[in-house]
Amino acid sequence: MNDISNKRKILVCCGTGCLASNSYEVYESLKEKLEINPNIIVQIEIKATGCNGLCEKGPVVKIHPDDISYFKVSAKDVDEIIEKTITNGEIINRLLYFDTNQKKKIINHMDASFYKHQRKIALRNIGEIDPLSIEDYLERDGYKALHKVLFEMEPMEVIDEVEKSGLKGRGGAGFPTGTKWRTCSKFEDYPKYVICNGDEGDPGAFMDRSIMEGDPNTIIEGMIICGYSINSNKGYLYIRDEYELARKNMEFAIDKARKLGYLGENIIGSGFDFDLEIVRGGGAFVCGESSALMASIEGNVGEPRAKYIRSVEKGLWNMPTVLNNVETWANIPPIILNGANWFNKIGTENNSGTKVFSLVGKVKNTGLVEIPMGTKLSELVFDIGCGIIKNRPFKAVQTGGPSGGCIPKEYMDVPLDFDSLSKMGSMMGSGGVIVMDDTTCMVEIARYYMEFLSEESCGKCTTCREGIKMMLNILTNITEGRGQLEDIHILESLGKTIMSASLCALGKTAPNPVLTTIQYFRNEYMDHIVNHKCSAGVCKNLTTYFIEEETCIGCGICKKNCPVNAITGSLKEIHVIDEDICIKCGNCFTACPKDSVKIGGAAYAY
Amino acid sequence: MLIKINGKVYNGHDGETLMEVAKRNNINIPSLCYKKGFEGLGRCRLCLVEVNEGKRKKIVSACVYPIRENLEVITKTEDIIKMRKDIILLLLLRSPKNEYIQELAKEYKIVSPERYIQKENDDCILCGLCVTACEKLGTNAISMVNRGITKKVSTPYDDPSKDCIGCGACAEVCPTNAIKLDENNGIRTIWNRDFDLVKCSVCGKYYATEDSLNFIGDKLGSKEDHVCEYCKKKSLASKFKKSFQNIY
Ligand code: SF4
Ligand code: SF4
Ligand code: SF4
Ligand code: SF4
Ligand code: FES
Ligand code: FES
Repeated sequence: MNDISNKRKILVCCGTGCLASNSYEVYESLKEKLEINPNIIVQIEIKATGCNGLCEKGPVVKIHPDDISYFKVSAKDVDEIIEKTITNGEIINRLLYFDTNQKKKIINHMDASFYKHQRKIALRNIGEIDPLSIEDYLERDGYKALHKVLFEMEPMEVIDEVEKSGLKGRGGAGFPTGTKWRTCSKFEDYPKYVICNGDEGDPGAFMDRSIMEGDPNTIIEGMIICGYSINSNKGYLYIRDEYELARKNMEFAIDKARKLGYLGENIIGSGFDFDLEIVRGGGAFVCGESSALMASIEGNVGEPRAKYIRSVEKGLWNMPTVLNNVETWANIPPIILNGANWFNKIGTENNSGTKVFSLVGKVKNTGLVEIPMGTKLSELVFDIGCGIIKNRPFKAVQTGGPSGGCIPKEYMDVPLDFDSLSKMGSMMGSGGVIVMDDTTCMVEIARYYMEFLSEESCGKCTTCREGIKMMLNILTNITEGRGQLEDIHILESLGKTIMSASLCALGKTAPNPVLTTIQYFRNEYMDHIVNHKCSAGVCKNLTTYFIEEETCIGCGICKKNCPVNAITGSLKEIHVIDEDICIKCGNCFTACPKDSVKIGGAAYAY
Repeated sequence: MLIKINGKVYNGHDGETLMEVAKRNNINIPSLCYKKGFEGLGRCRLCLVEVNEGKRKKIVSACVYPIRENLEVITKTEDIIKMRKDIILLLLLRSPKNEYIQELAKEYKIVSPERYIQKENDDCILCGLCVTACEKLGTNAISMVNRGITKKVSTPYDDPSKDCIGCGACAEVCPTNAIKLDENNGIRTIWNRDFDLVKCSVCGKYYATEDSLNFIGDKLGSKEDHVCEYCKKKSLASKFKKSFQNIY
């Protein structure tokens, strides 16, 4: 029987990732079985929380105060967890997380490489609270910042504090948040509006979703604080169409906050009114662009317009508007509560605070990571991400979403902040980081993003619509073996025109993936065009596989892995690939223990 | 307020766009999606100019750029010409068979690289003028649908539109003559729909669709005589003449 403590907390992750691997079953079963278990006399609290960031290893279950974290838990494990861990304080080895960097199993997830280097501000509550419980939020200093603002601070003092903190918008270009609020506060046109951009559209990025799902109240609190400082009484949350759980949790939190007097008229007796409304996104990537987003809230087609008059002056319905993204809002309450100086000390001089990244691709640990600005890219990939899957050679990362750029391994030490990334020709964007290994073809990557953007551009202006289409045509030609030397020049020159002549940020950044891959991987382009060879083995027309006689030991592993029996050879003898049968799947290439399978160029001219 | 265009000072009013000032003073800024009396659309991107607002130079599109005090504008720089050429090249690849675009390309000495010409010719360059024209009438029969490279102008679900009155305003504003308007035996066909034409009661020529005359009639709340523009002008002119004659 357990007598270590009379209070226990069990946190079951119920973010979208873990829910997909049936974490709700785990939660229900734990709840049900703990209630009826006669052996348990301790007081147990069980909570369904938001995402812990390591979804791929989910469902995640954390037990406090013992600080035991279990990964990949299924409903089948519940009995054992109750019997061994809850009742007897025993640790179940099988469910612990194996840290590949430290080469050992980890009991408390905070000791794992993935979490150790993180510093959580925007994500501070996620995974620790039940998003549907405003009480949980209040317990962790929730709405204290709002209280402070409404009763102890003048609007201008709030803006001063945000400005002094150096916080820059976390959604893309990194515009100073305080400056935006200050400019908007100066216009005497009413009503003014506050908008939360929750239209996260980058493939693979889910930081905004996870904050809306896991800690909705922090967004609400941040927005009210802004409303107070610029004298606005109305806010909108624009949430991406696909984000059902996020919308549900936000809706629930807004309702609850209203009931408890944190939203609506006369907020907590202060005399200040502010209310929020949720708007369902239009489902297009371009709606993340601020002017398209506002058009969409107004009920018009989600098309950007020229921003020669800024939205702080004439935004939503032509009224002064402050728009920030989800992560930015989540930073506001801690800044107010702990002060600008506290925030300033985190990160680097011009880039204070932390940034949430979504780390994906060919890296061992994928997931959501919050680290101080200025952390080196290599730390993110190797210390937190624990390096490349199967320890293959690392090649590059792509940052900033579909219109970000690719950074080669030579620049691994670049600090992750707004300035350094744009100096590299890439950008922070919303914080997507895609890790690539030697089996990634950089020309194909550029082509892939052009294809994505050709569908997601709003299509309004010639340069963006037709320019991306032309780039896509050229890149398709190159990857299919019809490239010509002049193509590289056309891509570069056209890219520059698209960047300066397009109307909105989507078009202005769209050529980034093409231009940075040409800049850093020109050899690969040349290889495709001149040698008709894709050395990553991705462009099928430009790839053949052969086995190097000198090094093949005849183990037969390649043969076993070939799905079409294209490989012949007896054990301990040199194996041979029949080019006519081979479908170029690359299995043998990655399977051979001696690296004897090599990639050759095109078999035919295209 | 005073602004400087290509070194010369001009007068402009608050709320005017750069394009409006330029047009008023006969300064040529190439454009495809701008039409006098319509608000700028910013779609074709041909009207790029360089502006200097004290600190920074930037490239803006003149048709949507609101002028402000002390603005300095240059309508032609090497960079801008290069960009315009690229834009016209892109339009030429989209509409290789369109004579208006071909003419423009000739003017800018652009030959399209054979390998990149698109197979299907599309005469529409998505300037948006037709949609705006129809919107201004209050008919709203056509709109831009889809996004990205599949964007196009269309009636709802590509079906013949109930709201279209066959007035032909859309076809008239189209800079590339992309909207098909056929007239045969008293029937006008536009946007996949047939409209009966009405004859002018003076000269006897077909001159407008019945639907459009009804639409105007409903709007004005009165029935007008069926007289075509030409005959209206003629009769106005003769009335003038008469009244002059009466004076002298
Ligand atoms: S796996 Fe490599 S070493 Fe083994 S038989 Fe195939 S090519 Fe030779
Ligand atoms: S690439 Fe795939 S299909 Fe071709 S030989 Fe290797 S395993 Fe077989
Ligand atoms: S013809 Fe039809 S679509 Fe064209 S402007 Fe007139 S009403 Fe609109
Ligand atoms: S049909 Fe003509 S007017 Fe309409 S968008 Fe196309 S080019 Fe412009
Ligand atoms: S949803 Fe559980 S870790 Fe992300
Ligand atoms: S005339 Fe300005 S963009 Fe077309």
